[in-house]
Amino acid sequence: MLETHPTVSRLLTAPAGTPRHRNQDELVGLAQQVRLLGRGGAGFPVATKLAAMPRGRAVQVLVNGSESEPASQKDRTLMRQAPHLVLDGALLVARALDTRHVTVLVHDPGATDALTRAVRERSDASRVRVVAHAGGFVSGEVRAAIRLVDGAPAVPPGRRVLPHESGVGGAPTFASNVETFAQLALLSSLGADGYAAIGSAAEPGTTLLTLVGDVSGPGVVEVPTGLPLAALLPGQDTDPRPVLIGGYHGSWVSDIRDLRVERPGLREAGLPLNAGVVARLSNDTCALAEVVAVSTWLAGQSAGQCGPCFFGLPAVARDAYALLHGRPSTADLDRRVAQLPGRGACAHPDGAAMFIRTALTTMTAEVEEHRRHGTCGRPWLQELPTGPAPAVRSAS
Amino acid sequence: MRIEVDWTRCDGHGLCARLLPEKVGLDEWGFPVIDTPEIGDDLVPHARRAVGACPALALRLVPG
Ligand code: SF4
Ligand code: SF4
Repeated sequence: MLETHPTVSRLLTAPAGTPRHRNQDELVGLAQQVRLLGRGGAGFPVATKLAAMPRGRAVQVLVNGSESEPASQKDRTLMRQAPHLVLDGALLVARALDTRHVTVLVHDPGATDALTRAVRERSDASRVRVVAHAGGFVSGEVRAAIRLVDGAPAVPPGRRVLPHESGVGGAPTFASNVETFAQLALLSSLGADGYAAIGSAAEPGTTLLTLVGDVSGPGVVEVPTGLPLAALLPGQDTDPRPVLIGGYHGSWVSDIRDLRVERPGLREAGLPLNAGVVARLSNDTCALAEVVAVSTWLAGQSAGQCGPCFFGLPAVARDAYALLHGRPSTADLDRRVAQLPGRGACAHPDGAAMFIRTALTTMTAEVEEHRRHGTCGRPWLQELPTGPAPAVRSAS
Repeated sequence: MRIEVDWTRCDGHGLCARLLPEKVGLDEWGFPVIDTPEIGDDLVPHARRAVGACPALALRLVPG
């Protein structure tokens, strides 16, 4: 049994310094060689996205640091600890695309301060805009983020527009998560071979994770890709418990023995890593209460513009609450959860459905206990954070 | 062809379910449930009628 896990420290301690200039083709080539995937939600190949971009002064680069899911801390940690690396990556992409328009969208006040300071400290970032906003899960969605930067309500548009065609201010936009930009900066300095010296073949390098609950040291860690998930979850072999992979839009899974921290492999297993949250509950908290709390929070994050999401998520949260108090059947919840996917302008209902459905299928013993006794006798310890979004702070 | 709902526009009027019952059901709040969005040639005229009738301009027929 592994009691410790091999963390690495590339991103979080990377030396500042403008990486060497790369043109668009070179950058696409590098991203392709190391199979770099976006580090926000969707895990889209960076090379493909970058290759689709036109170049020129009108082009926009959007660094999405919204990170509005309360369980995730990795983006704010990266922006606080290595703001220059994030800016290096953003400016690298901007130069490759022949533009100077860079916007960083942040909602964590500490990250906003660190980035604003970093922008002032350097001479090449005078055109970088740091935009602070109040948060909200859906505004982490890239199309919602674009609307927010444009001063519109932070909700996804109804029609599927692609940022590389029409993004910030209607201009072609390269938008990605903060960690993606930091990884690009590192990739440019290390070269493809150096970058791929650690990690798995399918997705070389490292990845940031936020570990939550009963894990080997909660908080943000950087690990080499390919690491067995069990290394982060001591005792899982003797006391197997459901593990949440991919945060509040992710899945609970009971058997993690064959799983590794690596986006392609996890996706193949139907377990998208999303923004890299991995959680396991202790035996001291009421697991069902934890799930109800997150379901309620997810319902509150509906942007309220699509009926099936606006009505469906609160109904599902109420169904989950009823199970907590001993409702004998999961039929209502199952039916309503099955109707959520694909019926919204963004993936929020799909992700919420995945979280709730897999929670109930992996926690059958807990559901049964509540059915019989109306309680499991354990208190709700709030191991899965659902805290309020931090207040708005304006950036200069 | 495929039928698509712009969920940000749909108000749950339910007209589409009446005009295209072969494809569109309604959930408990009156919002469309479309299990298979592909529209066969025989249904295209009906689908067009539903698209034209949607008071919220929320329905579209798209190729594919
Ligand atoms: S699906 Fe839900 S969260 Fe997404 S845009 Fe529609 S109402 Fe908002
Ligand atoms: S007719 Fe239009 S507004 Fe009414 S339910 Fe159908 S799609 Fe929605």
